[in-house]
Amino acid sequence: MMNPIAGTKTISPVAGRPNAGRYIPYVVAAVVVLSAPVWAGAYLVSVLTIVGFHAVLALGLVLLTGLAGQVSLGQAMFFGMGAYLSALLTVRAGLPAWPCILVAAVITGVGAALIGFAVLRLRGIIVAGVTLTVNLIFYYLVMSMGQVTGGATGLTGIPRLPYPRGMPYSVFIFAFVWIGVVVLLVFSLNVARSRSGRALRVLNILAGGGEDTAQVLGINTMKYKVSAFVVAAIFASIGGSVYAHYTGVIEPGSFHVQLSVLVAIMVIVGGVATPWGAIVGATLMIGITEVLRAVAPIVLGGPTGAYELVAYGAILVATLLFLPQGLCSLPERVRRRRRADDGH
Amino acid sequence: MTAIDVRSGRLPVGGAQQVPLLDIRGLSAAYGELLVLKDVDLRVNTGELICIIGPNGAGKTTLLKLVNGLLKPSGGEIWFQGERIDGRPAYKVARCGITQMFQDIQLCPTLSVVENVMTGCHVWTRSGFLATGFQSRGARVEESVIRAVAVEQLNSLGLAGRASAWPRQLSWGEQKLVGLARALVARPSLVLLDEPYGGLVQDEIDRLSCLLRELTVSGMTVLMVEHLTDVVMDVASRVVVLHYGEKIAEGLPQEIRRDERVVASYLGE
Repeated sequence: MMNPIAGTKTISPVAGRPNAGRYIPYVVAAVVVLSAPVWAGAYLVSVLTIVGFHAVLALGLVLLTGLAGQVSLGQAMFFGMGAYLSALLTVRAGLPAWPCILVAAVITGVGAALIGFAVLRLRGIIVAGVTLTVNLIFYYLVMSMGQVTGGATGLTGIPRLPYPRGMPYSVFIFAFVWIGVVVLLVFSLNVARSRSGRALRVLNILAGGGEDTAQVLGINTMKYKVSAFVVAAIFASIGGSVYAHYTGVIEPGSFHVQLSVLVAIMVIVGGVATPWGAIVGATLMIGITEVLRAVAPIVLGGPTGAYELVAYGAILVATLLFLPQGLCSLPERVRRRRRADDGH
Repeated sequence: MTAIDVRSGRLPVGGAQQVPLLDIRGLSAAYGELLVLKDVDLRVNTGELICIIGPNGAGKTTLLKLVNGLLKPSGGEIWFQGERIDGRPAYKVARCGITQMFQDIQLCPTLSVVENVMTGCHVWTRSGFLATGFQSRGARVEESVIRAVAVEQLNSLGLAGRASAWPRQLSWGEQKLVGLARALVARPSLVLLDEPYGGLVQDEIDRLSCLLRELTVSGMTVLMVEHLTDVVMDVASRVVVLHYGEKIAEGLPQEIRRDERVVASYLGE
């Protein structure tokens, strides 16, 4: 076809490609975090491990909510499914832990696909309501099936994962979880920049996309929404399985909807549009929780639970009011402000 | 190309019958109890630029939505390249070779210009979640091909240098061209355009007309809904007039200008 505007310059096929150099600070950050056992104490390593577990949950939610625009409040259920399936297979059936993690992930993925096909026909906030309800059903099922799951008292005696001799188990789990976070982060970033990620963004109603547009472009919207739902569930399942083998004890309260809501807040605070937001949000929220647990009993007195909820609410409201795209949008916002100032 | 009867849009009886690219037979559509399209017949041959005109509420956009699969007809059949496509979901219709540029373009605001155009390639590419997430060789090769195709299309439409921009940074005319680029990289046989000239200034109108002529010369087929009568009469190879859901006329632009029913119901004196 002829160029309708004679004399215009042409652009090369690499135009618009992301610059790899800008990721150097993030690689440095990853090295600093992964070397934490060398420079940090046992307490900080355990806190960072918990941050890692939450980051895994939040990364799945970024794919589902940030890219596909499907608001789910059921991530804790899939975390719980992974934990209970792997724990039951190892404790009750005596199977080795590693294959049990994979089996749990597959079963959770199949379950998520079935739930996804049923739930994701609905739109908007209804999806959040239904996933929250399914999470509650899971909680009460686990509670009521005491002979199998241990009920409210939980399941104990979950074996540790095989780990290298000479390395503390907590350090092994820390390294395993954070290597997992890096792998899932890279996976999520790759998806976000690819054909699949573009398809999810086009159908994302929350970010100005639309399912009609997506369909006309040849995108099977249901398949993509369910795929994102399943991937998020598998992330959560693997995280839950490793969590069970880390703590050795699981109980239903660890997988209640409160965890799903907390993960959603992490994603909103960190930035729903980028996988980095999951890590930033998880670090901030768990960091604040730990600071409150240390400071609140001394300064304010009493248990910290209520203060945590107030703090979560305040942070969520402040983020939505002043930085609706989350903390990860801050650098871009500053750059835009500077450009605007330079322009004047 | 075989000569057609401009009144009926049908091929003459006898002689070699050319299979039309798009064959709409007795198509009807309803929103609830309200019948918005009544028994419409239309045959579109390869390389034609058919314009559908008519007053607001005539059923023009509904007709496009029936063809692209976003709506299901209440009666009638749609055949495309010898295959019946009515009732198929829109994404499957797109895979048959039909694409559309919407009236309000509907570019994705969270994707850059070049990424928006790349979404048009979805229909002929295959990499899924795992392949793209783990950057398989096939996925990387496919991604570079998609980008090259999108950039080439942007170049050909004179949008050089806008690849990294965001849709909100473009003028309305530029957004229309990006929407057209997104449609064209799908390598369609039939392009549906819903009021592509809406909101354009004269220079942009001229440029778009030039582009559409080039497209049809290259063998692409265009089915367009448009309100700008002068433009329609200039670019169309055939004009179809809808009025309250019924086809009241079909023919060459100069014939439509003289049609008394069309003049009375739509064009005016």
